[in-house]
Formats: sequence, structure tokens, C-alpha cells
Amino acid sequence: MTTHQTAYRALPPTAAAVDPGPEAEDFRHEFRAWLSEHAPPELRGVGWPAPPGSPHTEALRDWGKVLCDAGYMCVSWPREYGGRGLSPVEVAIMNEEFDRAGVPRVTRGRAETTVGPAVIAHGTEEQKAYFLPRIISGEHVYCQGFSEPGAGSDLAGLRTSGVVEGDELVITGQKVWTSGYYESTMMFCLVRTDPDAPKHAGISYVLLPVAENGPGTGVEFRPIRQLTGRSGFAETFLDGARVPLFNVIGGLHQGWRVTVTTLGHERGNRATIAHVAYARDFWALVEEVRARGLAGDPAVREKLAWAWTQIETMRFSGLHLLAALAAGQDPTTRAENGSVTKIRWSEYARGFGELALDLLGPEALTAGGAGEDGLGYWQEQFLSSRSGTIWGGTAEVQRNIIAERVLGLPKESRGMGR
Amino acid sequence: MSLAVTAEQEDLRAAVGRFLDSRAPLSRTRELMERPVPHDPETWRALAVELGVQGIGVPEEHGGSGIDVQALAHVFEETGRVLLPGPLLATLGLAVPLLLASGDSAAQARYLPGIAAGETVATVGWLAPGAAWDTVGGAATAVPRPRSGWALDGRVALVLDGLAADLCLVVADTPAGPSVFAVDTTGPGVDRHRVRALDPTRGLAEFVLDGAPGSRVGEEGAGSALLAAARDQACVLLAAEMVGAAQACLDMAVAYARQREQFGRPIGSFQAIKHKCAEVLVEIEGARSCARYAAWACGASPEEVPTVAALAKAAAAEAFFRAAADGLQIHGGIGFTWEHDAHLFLKRAKACQVLFGDTRAFRLRLADRLGI
Repeated sequence: MTTHQTAYRALPPTAAAVDPGPEAEDFRHEFRAWLSEHAPPELRGVGWPAPPGSPHTEALRDWGKVLCDAGYMCVSWPREYGGRGLSPVEVAIMNEEFDRAGVPRVTRGRAETTVGPAVIAHGTEEQKAYFLPRIISGEHVYCQGFSEPGAGSDLAGLRTSGVVEGDELVITGQKVWTSGYYESTMMFCLVRTDPDAPKHAGISYVLLPVAENGPGTGVEFRPIRQLTGRSGFAETFLDGARVPLFNVIGGLHQGWRVTVTTLGHERGNRATIAHVAYARDFWALVEEVRARGLAGDPAVREKLAWAWTQIETMRFSGLHLLAALAAGQDPTTRAENGSVTKIRWSEYARGFGELALDLLGPEALTAGGAGEDGLGYWQEQFLSSRSGTIWGGTAEVQRNIIAERVLGLPKESRGMGR
Repeated sequence: MSLAVTAEQEDLRAAVGRFLDSRAPLSRTRELMERPVPHDPETWRALAVELGVQGIGVPEEHGGSGIDVQALAHVFEETGRVLLPGPLLATLGLAVPLLLASGDSAAQARYLPGIAAGETVATVGWLAPGAAWDTVGGAATAVPRPRSGWALDGRVALVLDGLAADLCLVVADTPAGPSVFAVDTTGPGVDRHRVRALDPTRGLAEFVLDGAPGSRVGEEGAGSALLAAARDQACVLLAAEMVGAAQACLDMAVAYARQREQFGRPIGSFQAIKHKCAEVLVEIEGARSCARYAAWACGASPEEVPTVAALAKAAAAEAFFRAAADGLQIHGGIGFTWEHDAHLFLKRAKACQVLFGDTRAFRLRLADRLGI
């Protein structure tokens, strides 16, 4: 159940559909040559990020360092900040080449896509000089401290307080759904620094060191066991955690602006790569279906064709986005935005997870896989897919965003806010 | 040519949009649908003469401007918006691709210039009454006539815009298998009549052939292959048409939801309405991505066409039907009246969903073509 390479078919390259231009094609050849020399054979077929306890953790860390040293980390950041200044089209080409070589692209995750861009856009030169190289090198690994028990979809309702004492901020409160806490050294979080200001105005964006945590440190993670049985995230208790004011990005009380302008950065990047993993899973499921003699069943074939249609829709919309960018157009004027993309992939993933278990038949009921609690690959997929329509703005919130910002429908009267 | 929309395509689209707004708006569609033949020859000629639309599907050596399915798809998105009645799909979606696929240069030289000039309306007929969409053969038979040409007998159902057509390419059986024959619809031995349709904005006809003279197009026995190629392109353009029509449904529903007030506020402020509209938008954007990719593939990635045409047709049909059905629902009582346009879109949507095969059939076809 774990050989997910066999049936996978490489996708047609973007070149023809996107017309990236000669410079980007030069980059493709340069990077392809570099990869063919440096791609570690032992990581062929290995996914990124690796789940906790993966046997590949060390090899992936080493590979990250190789990429770093060669300047292939945080590639969409400007060169002056240690990046490579790649355009979204070039990033897509890079992803394609990783896929072609069969090795994972190790990134700095949210530090690369969210924290770095926030620092670059809103930080002082001193802050850039301090934080950015540490993200690139992997010294600072970030977890996110946005959600709170009382602030989920209504994020600006957060209550964790930050009180200025001299040149420090003293933070007290509770965060939740802190994913990747176990490997983090830093947390980017939102705290309320002006309790008297209107809801969105009194919030600050803070980079909080969390490498030292546990009783007495002011930072305590308590793992939350999720429905898969794993503990990928935690509740975070902040009790007088101290952080220099230097770590406030964009100025005191300016956190909402910092957040809003850097959410969804590198959207083009993700939009053009999301379908690849789904395509792998799709062809792996086709193999399972064949092995069970179900491939001739029209009801099964119809469902598989539905799934393939969704995956291709993701590929096509990513290609349209890239083609527009390559042609120098502004794709944000099109209705195809982050909310549309997120609804599409998250709802597809749920449907596909359900379909996979239906097709496994009796095997879907029994354990026996490599996962914790004995769950198999498809069971894990089915269960973990339920989170996609919740985190980062629920599917319902995304629909409100589309209705109000894209279609111009009137806002609903909200409840009594702060 | 990449997937990006070019300035020329934007211009064409805007020009077609202006043309339709002034000469063939939805109100004109309503007039035409009351006629026995829902087709306005003047609009057809003007589309060719003023905008060169028909020529976009025809090679230069036959009087066209060179085939550009991507550009054509933009035209179809616009004509879908007003449910333009008339033989664009029959002529440019089915007949022209069939002629081109046939490799029959004599037939091409004979028919394509008239099509490009807006003088000839062409269509394709292949279905026996009651036959399933995938059936090829069984509708008519062709036998060689003593001196030259062939004589066709039979009954051909569901001929798109059959009453508007000057030329019908009929798939008829010969000893070598189904083959294509060009039949002059005004010639002897051709009796055609209107079929009342669920969707009154697209003409349907049945042909009764009784010794009708026909001239063969392409190789004898090539009927299945030619029809398959034609239907793929028809599906691509139909998908574009459906995307345009679906967008019109969403636009109407959103405009209404912003203006209609109940409980003292616009109904568009209620999440039940907002979420419906948002879901329709997600579907339409997905369908548009598929339809435009498929149109691009017709020129740039032909080996993908059999899969992406099937995929685009099914995706656009689902999006269009949802947009039409939910759009009608959002309009409430007024949406159920004859006077309102919502029912025109609902009927077109269901008819498009069934045309050439329903969504299930297209998904099964996609599975076949993927080699699952």
C-alpha cells in the first residue's frame, strides 16, 4: 500500500502552456544540471515535509543544507535578502524539476512563505539583517501563534496580551492549533498590545523565541492529539513570556496590517504545485482499484474520472495563473483567487479520501499500516483531509470572502464585536 | 502561443460582446425562439462580414483567417452569455472540424469558403431516432448511383440547426462502414422537419432521406474517426459556450441578490444566498480553466484533446447547470415565470448537459481515454 511511485505519470511540462521566456528556460537548464549532480539518491520518492519520527529526517536536513549552500532556499525572496529573486514562473519551473528528478524540494515552510515576506515588507533593516539569514539557514524554525480558544474564524477577536515593560514585551495568554511546535525554535504570533483600541487596531506581530519551553520558561506546549491519533499540534500557554521589542515587526499595534498583507504570499507557487501530490495519490489509487479487480466497474470508473477532473482543474488553473504572470499580466484581477483555490483543493481532498476508503472495501475497516495506531496510508489520507476545510479560514469563511470581495455582495451584519 | 489571454483575443471578445449587445441581445433570442427556425441569417452574415467569426475556424487557403480555436472559444463564451440562437456550434463546432479532419481537399475547397464568408450554414447528422449518442451508423445507408455520387436513404435525428443548414454532412452506412456524405438540404429526396425542443434557443431537426444525392467526404469507412474528431472540437466549443452562459446566470443572480430586499435587507447579505453564489463561482472558474485549456490544446497540444475535451465538456456542463438552477432559485417566484430569462438558461443548461452524452457518459469516456 505504500508504493506510490509505480503508476504515477509525469505531467506535461509547463513550457508550452506558459511560455516562460528564454531567461526562465535558461534557469531550467541550469537547475536541471545542478540537480542531476546533487540530488541525493536516498531521497528519491520521499515526501516533504516528513511526518514526525520519519527515518528520513536527517537526510532531509542535510539536503536542506545543500540547497541552502547552493542558494536554492527561499528562492522567491530578493537577492539582497539572501534569496534568489525568482519569479513565480521560475519557482514553478524549479518545482517541476524537483518533481522530474524525483526528490523533494525542502523549504523553510511558513517561515519562508509568511514570516520572511512579512519581515521583508514591514521590518527595519536591522530586523531584516537579524531574522532573514536565520530563516534561510534553518536556525529559526517557526510555528504559528494566531488562533486562540476564543479566536478562530474571528481571528481579530484574539485576547493574548502583550504589555510593554522597558524595551521588552511581556506576553500572557493562550494559543491553540500550534502545528509543528515540536521542531520549532520561534513562533510568529499576534498579541493584543492596546486593549482599548478597536478590534483590529490594537494587535502586534511578534517573533517569539520558543526553543526554551516548559515549566518556568513562560512558554509551554501541551500536545493535542488529533483525530488521526497523531499529535501534530499543541496548545501553547504563554505566561509572562518576555521578548525584546526588537522582535515586533511593523511597529506596535500594526500587526493586523502586517498579517493581512503577507497572507497568501507565494500563492502562485502553491497553486501551480498542489496538483502534483494529488496526481500521485490518484494513480496509486488506480493501482489499488486494479489490484482488486474493480477497474471495469462503471460506477468506480465514473468516480475516478471525477477525481481526475478535479486534479486537472487544479493543474489548468495554476497554468493559467503562470501564463498570465509570464505574459506580464496581473492575475489578481481575475476571480481566480486564493479562496477559490483553497475551496477547490480542500474539498477535493475530502472527497478523494472518502472515495479511497469506499474502494478499499473490507481493508478500509482494518488497521495494519505503518502509521501510528496502525492506520494505513489511505485511512490517514481520509482522516487528515478533514482539516483542510478548517485551518487557515474555514470553507465557510472562504465563501464569505468570495461573496463579499469578488462578487460584491453586501456584508452580513456581524454580532457585537469588540 | 501560451495560455495567456492576448490583447487580440481581448479585442475580439469585446467586439463580439458589443455586437451581441446591440444586435443580438437576450431579448432578440426570445423573439427568435418563437420562430420555427431559431436563426437570424442577417446576424449570421454580419458575424462573418463584420467580425470574421466564421473565418476563425477556417484555414487561410479556404478563405478563412486561419484556425484559432483559442480565439473561437472566446467568441463562444460571449455568444453563450446571450444564448445566441443559430448554427455556430453546428457549423464551427461540428461541420468544419469534420471537413478538416477528412483531409478531403476537394470537399474543403467546395464548402469552406462559403462557410467563412457567412454564406453557408453547415451541420452534421449521424443519429438514428432513439439511438444512443455514441452510436455511429444505423441512421442512413448510402449506395453508389449509376453515373456518379451516392444516394442516401434513412432517417437522421437530432440534427443541430438542421432547418437553418444549407449543407448537412450525413454519416451513412456503406459496405466499408459508416462514411460521411455531403447532402444539399434543399435538394431532392430531402425532407426535413422541425423537432420541438426542451431548449427552444437551439434548433433541432429530423431529416428523412429518400434517395437524396450525396457526395462522399473523406475515405469510405472513415465516418467513425471523422465524427469523433468533430465531436471533440464541438465539446471544446460547447464548453466555452456553457462557461459564458453560466457566468451570465451568476451575474444575474448576484445583481438580483444585491437589489432584492426581504426582512429589511438585501437577500444577498444572507449567508444562504452568499454561499450559493460563491459555490457557483468556484465551479465556473474551474470550468473556465478547463474550457480554455482544452481550446488551447486544440492548437498546441493535440494529443491531449481527447481527454481534455471530455473533461471540459463534463465540467462546464455541471457548472452551467448549477449556475442556472441556483440562479433560478435565488430569484424566487419571479424565476419561475415565463417572463423572466432564468428558464431559458435552465433549459439550455439541461440540454447542453445531455447533448453528445450526459456527464456520466463523458466521465466514462474520460476513464477510457486515460486508460484506467
